[in-house]
Amino acid sequence: MKHVVTLLRPRLFSFKNKGLFKNDRGRRVKLFLFGTIGICFWGGIFAVSLRVLIYFKTISELGDILAYKLLSMILLTFFSLLIFSSILTSISKLYLSRDLSLVHSMPVSSFKIFIARSIESTLDSSWMVIVYTLPVFMSYGIVYQAGFFFYWDMIMVILSLVIIASSTSVILVVLVVNFVPANRMRNMSIFFGLCLFLILFFAFRFLQPERLVDPEVFSTALAYLKSLKTPAPPYLPSTWACDSLKAALSGHIQHGMFHTALSWTWAGVMVFTAIIIADAVYFKGLSKTHTAQVRLFRNRFSGIHFLRFLPGPVRAFVTKEIRTFFRDQTQWSQLFLIAALVVLYLYNFNALPLEKAPIKTVYLQNLLSFLNMGLAGFVLTAITARFAYPAVSIEREAFWLVKSTPIGLRSYLWIKFFIYFLPLLILTEILIIATNILLNVTPFMMALSTATIFFLVPGVVAMGIGFGAAYPDFKADNPAQTVTSFGGILFMMVCAGYIGAVIFLEAGPVYNIFMADIRERGLTVFEWTWVTGSFVLVFVLSIAAIIIPMKFGEKRLSELQG
Amino acid sequence: MIELKNLSKKYGNLLAVDNLDLRVPKGEIFGFIGPNGAGKTTTINMVGGVLAPTSGAVMICGINMADQPEHAKRKIGFIPDRPYLYEKLTGMEFLKFIADLYDVDEDTFLKKSQEKLDMFFLSDRSNELIESYSHGMKQRLVMAAALLHDPQVIVVDEPMVGLDPLAIKMVKDHFKHLADEGVTIFMSTHTLKVAEDICDKIGIIHKGTLIATGTYEDLRRDVHAEGADLEQIFIRLTEP
Repeated sequence: MKHVVTLLRPRLFSFKNKGLFKNDRGRRVKLFLFGTIGICFWGGIFAVSLRVLIYFKTISELGDILAYKLLSMILLTFFSLLIFSSILTSISKLYLSRDLSLVHSMPVSSFKIFIARSIESTLDSSWMVIVYTLPVFMSYGIVYQAGFFFYWDMIMVILSLVIIASSTSVILVVLVVNFVPANRMRNMSIFFGLCLFLILFFAFRFLQPERLVDPEVFSTALAYLKSLKTPAPPYLPSTWACDSLKAALSGHIQHGMFHTALSWTWAGVMVFTAIIIADAVYFKGLSKTHTAQVRLFRNRFSGIHFLRFLPGPVRAFVTKEIRTFFRDQTQWSQLFLIAALVVLYLYNFNALPLEKAPIKTVYLQNLLSFLNMGLAGFVLTAITARFAYPAVSIEREAFWLVKSTPIGLRSYLWIKFFIYFLPLLILTEILIIATNILLNVTPFMMALSTATIFFLVPGVVAMGIGFGAAYPDFKADNPAQTVTSFGGILFMMVCAGYIGAVIFLEAGPVYNIFMADIRERGLTVFEWTWVTGSFVLVFVLSIAAIIIPMKFGEKRLSELQG
Repeated sequence: MIELKNLSKKYGNLLAVDNLDLRVPKGEIFGFIGPNGAGKTTTINMVGGVLAPTSGAVMICGINMADQPEHAKRKIGFIPDRPYLYEKLTGMEFLKFIADLYDVDEDTFLKKSQEKLDMFFLSDRSNELIESYSHGMKQRLVMAAALLHDPQVIVVDEPMVGLDPLAIKMVKDHFKHLADEGVTIFMSTHTLKVAEDICDKIGIIHKGTLIATGTYEDLRRDVHAEGADLEQIFIRLTEP
């Protein structure tokens, strides 16, 4: 046990030292920013859960069934999330961490290293899931006016589920790594996990839950509620947890204790099984991981001949960017996710019941089209944050190559800009034109939104590249995650401000033009001035949004590189 | 004492180390040289117990690494070529971490850590975070950590990379001193001058096979090149 504690110590020391040696203001600002966002999110979940459960409480008979069904679904989701998160974390912790060579060269049994890593993996993979599901469970306690036992039981049940999920995942990982090397497995599990998530999401979306509040299909809803009484599978740990919490909510302490004990017994069995299996095969799997080839598929697409027209340095960067993107299988899942996002986006517009709305359809269609520009802008921001923002950090330790090539930082950043600008412009224009067609908007709105997006895209991409260059992280294990850093949050906030400002500037003039068109009258001199002034301001703002972040990024990057 | 018996390692279809048979007696400095990709680091990792061989055995002071890995590793001070260090730990915290894993008691740790920090010119920086260290300082810290528990065998991959001339001289002298005291040193290096200066015996590995082994004089004799230096011997043995 002493060695297990020692193996965990560097992590504790690193955590302690982070704050001790660097007394920088940036860290405190970051902490405050993320803390506030986190607390708001937590509070939001708490408020929504309370609201939903209080509403359920008002429905006699059906309310409790719904609340318990919801609890069972939450616990199943909680358990699945824990397993998925734990698989990804344990692959990294047990097989891909950079300090593994160091710890395995020490005179410590591999099963002790396994235990220490599993503890770290369990904590890392579960803390966020626990923190953000706690308000949901607490809401149950408050709404059902549960006693102390419920809260104690809640903690015990959550902990047992965490241990079961974590040990199930490590057993799976330790066994599978002996057949599929860890680096491949991580790519595959991300890919399959995303598939699973999207299937569930699509299935839920296409079920059209909004129909449940439509009186015309209420008989179907009743039939659905009848099916809610079907008991959950008894062999699932989440079912034991649900039964335990249900018993605790209704004050049946003995019944609750029984299910909690069942859950803990299984947790113990799984932990010991994991240790026994790891003792036998963990080191073998680790040796395999260090020696296996990483590429999942052989990419035969080697020449990018269509880029020949570009100047040498530009072509070099574009080619490198395209090749690394398509050879990194973790990126594919992101493409898949974007495709799904676009389909859902368009589907939602198609499913809008505009004809049932009490407001005049033509007005609503064009209002939605106008607001859709903002929405498309936010989708664009999200995609830019994922791809363009980490574009500089993605060079990682190979950034010396950029510095040693005969291209200035400015040209380098502009090359990066154009690499991402064109695909993002095409994607966003497709989004906006397709949704406008679905909404059947006027030609004026079509022209306006197409032009607005044409000016928004370069601004947002320039901000992504600029802020990414200003706050690079060349040491990040996964540069795509740098967007959650201080610079990333700043980028998203400035982007939101920019998109909001454009929409705000255009709102008044567009309303005037639209109303004049409906009333079949011309614009007054004042309206003309307002329209011209607003659009000129949007143009100036868009140019500034391109130039200022790019210059800022260039300046900061050159300062950082000394 | 180190003994490698029919040691082989396969990476997929590539045979990185092929049937290596070697014995390094107590108190000897053995230099392992070879071209890039010859199998040096793979061998070093197998001797250090970081990598499991596909077949064969590694014996450290008579202990089989596969059967009793903890016992075998306790005898070793392992210094990899690109060591991973916990950047957010101070130098002293890192030494304590290593000492705890080797079960070095508190008094010995205090004495030894100060001694090693002084020896590797790290005393005045020992309470600073490792992330602020230069490459050479990190390399010296790893060496200090590897020597904390008085190992009977030192396994070291490219010991002089990143070190300044003063540190190189100190490390060479210290290795010689340790060998005189009975410590066995197994080192891989590209710096042929270092091998020439301090190694009692040299092994040349090429495409996973040990193609020559012996003293400097033995190797000269093998290639029939009287008066040749190690570089000439190396080129003659490994050129295609």
